[in-house]
Amino acid sequence: MDLNRKLVKSDCEELLSRFQKTDSVRFEIFSNTWREMKFSHIFYGTKKREKRVFSRLVLDTASSFFLPPYSFQIRVGGLYLLYSLYQCQTTSPPEQIRLALKDWEDVKKFEKDALNAQHHDIVYILHRLLFLRAFHFTAMPTLLVFQKKRKVERSVQREAFIERTSRPQELINTEMLEELSNIHELYEKLKTSVCSTTNSSVNLSRKDLIPQLCSTVMNFYKLQQKDGSDDGEEDSGEGTSSQQDCSKRAERLAFIKSKAYGEAPEACKSRRHRQVEVDLTSNEAGPSNMSGSTRISKPSLKARTNENVHISGDMWKEASTTTMINCLTTLDSAPEKQKNLKRFKWR
Amino acid sequence: MAASGQSTDPNTNIPDYEYIDVNTKPFHIASFRNEWLSRLKPSDISYQQEDEDAFDANFAKEMGLGPEIMSQLKSVCSVDSLRCHPEDQQPDPEVVPPNSTLKTLVERKKRQDYKASLKITKNRHDLYADELERLTVGRKPSAVADMIPEGEIILTINVYYPATYEKFCYVRPHMTLLMTGSHTLAELRDGICCVSDLQVCGEFSNTPDIAPDFISKDHYKSSFFFFEGVFYNDMRFPECRDISITTVEWAKSRNFPPYSQAKMEETRFTDLKVKVGFPYLYCHQGDCEHLVIITDVRLVHKNDCMDKNLYPLLTHKHRIVTQKCAVCHLFIGRWFTTNDQFAPSDPCLFCDKCFRMLHYDAAGNKLGDFLAYPYVDRGAFN
Repeated sequence: MDLNRKLVKSDCEELLSRFQKTDSVRFEIFSNTWREMKFSHIFYGTKKREKRVFSRLVLDTASSFFLPPYSFQIRVGGLYLLYSLYQCQTTSPPEQIRLALKDWEDVKKFEKDALNAQHHDIVYILHRLLFLRAFHFTAMPTLLVFQKKRKVERSVQREAFIERTSRPQELINTEMLEELSNIHELYEKLKTSVCSTTNSSVNLSRKDLIPQLCSTVMNFYKLQQKDGSDDGEEDSGEGTSSQQDCSKRAERLAFIKSKAYGEAPEACKSRRHRQVEVDLTSNEAGPSNMSGSTRISKPSLKARTNENVHISGDMWKEASTTTMINCLTTLDSAPEKQKNLKRFKWR
Repeated sequence: MAASGQSTDPNTNIPDYEYIDVNTKPFHIASFRNEWLSRLKPSDISYQQEDEDAFDANFAKEMGLGPEIMSQLKSVCSVDSLRCHPEDQQPDPEVVPPNSTLKTLVERKKRQDYKASLKITKNRHDLYADELERLTVGRKPSAVADMIPEGEIILTINVYYPATYEKFCYVRPHMTLLMTGSHTLAELRDGICCVSDLQVCGEFSNTPDIAPDFISKDHYKSSFFFFEGVFYNDMRFPECRDISITTVEWAKSRNFPPYSQAKMEETRFTDLKVKVGFPYLYCHQGDCEHLVIITDVRLVHKNDCMDKNLYPLLTHKHRIVTQKCAVCHLFIGRWFTTNDQFAPSDPCLFCDKCFRMLHYDAAGNKLGDFLAYPYVDRGAFN
């Protein structure tokens, strides 16, 4: 089931990324992409009860694209995807799309955005879904069965789908800058009127605050644009990215650590048979990331001794030629055995 | 509205995760319902389907669209635009389409081919599940009075079997019930079928006919649910006792945070303040303990089963392997004998028919010497 979920998700992502490339929010374009991929076929081949289960799964997967943190375009794609899946499902009566109470505000805001931008097809489809009673108004987006996961799998979100933060740009716009400069001016005037003597202790406020603020925001924006071209979203101050930063840091640390262990100093001769084991598990960032069973299968004791007890080349030859037992067993017996065999051959 | 009176902070009744994807913070179910109803238009939850044309006309008026744009919009957004095949060649929806690029379909094809290679084509569990679905999905009541009102709450409740056997680590057998918000907890209790309610204690080899009169359910009626620090006791019958008092007093004497008590039959689901996805307890027959998880709370939908009388509605049932009679190997064991000279083993299981044929004569007199106990199989509710 879990595999199925992943596959469905990657199919949906494929469809949405194609849709994203078109840089459009028109349903016409979306339905083109849909037909191109023959996405309706995703329901084909399921039987009876499987159908319902699969419809549930597909709708649950798709509804995540309809909600933040995805960008507006992806959310539009998510909405279209939900509508199309809901209409194309083969289950009768159809399965509903689950909508959680906490997400309702987001949906309303989304509708408002679409309305303001005069995207009639988005609003039409949203209203149509409501008209078709396609939603279950629920407490939570999925059924919860207190399933604690052994392996914490971070839900991977496509970075390209996620909207860039624009809070700094939103906050510091031209109006606000004007206002700020006005206040600044007023403040300076007031100050000079209060203290007639030019005292240095009064001149604490920055004179070039406004231009500096402006240039900082511009710099930030440029940086974001540049980042976007390669890997992007270092700067979005959201939980997910800081987590990624953490994991990056952890990876770097782990890399250094493994390097250090890899170049383990040679042990003194008496201990050379104890092979230094590079601790593989410590490479992983933490217990949460550790895959459940990384049991290192050791080779057998015999194999290990064979490998580790190295007697350097000459010694071994010497030993093998001079000792009595060796003489008795290897040198003579080998040809002798062959002779014996010959003698026993049936003719 | 109750919501405004119930809470000063409106956010407490909008359920949110306590642990992500595991369970929510506690919230009051009736207030949750009111939060939804205050946000939705009555038409969003109505069972009545409006007219298509009326919808389009309304939409055009709301948006201020002319008839030309509206008809264009309608054709663009129609379902036909999603069709992936020519109109006259409807492919068979039971067959996985060949040469698909969708990963899901590639995998499904693989799985279907594998299944076809197996000798067993039918799965008994699938058959049962199909049957159950047929009985539950979208049933309409015969009388209008039995209709569930619009805006009612539907709860999905998983009741888990007591952890008495070793396999419990791997499979979590449970039954799933749908309840409405106006149901009381006592109705949930009656909906839970557990074999320990059917056990009969005692030896009945002399009087096998009266054994069914001694079912535990009729003798020990006490039980309780435990939700969020409150014990809800079943007190419907005079012989019911408060079996949670032991725990409450134990906790009191150890300086635990105090537990409170309430009556099961007087508590509706809408009165509860619970976490969704969090395991709670149902205890009956003294020590038969089931986990109870409310997995979902939502508003009723027109495709739900509408007949009030069918609730609590069973939507999933785990089927357990049954122990068969030692003689016929056909029917489920009903009797359990020891010291039995007729039996191939000690102890031995018999179905009712074989038991009587072997141990009693035609007049119903006991033959030979043995001890017989009624046996209730775990899978009695299959």
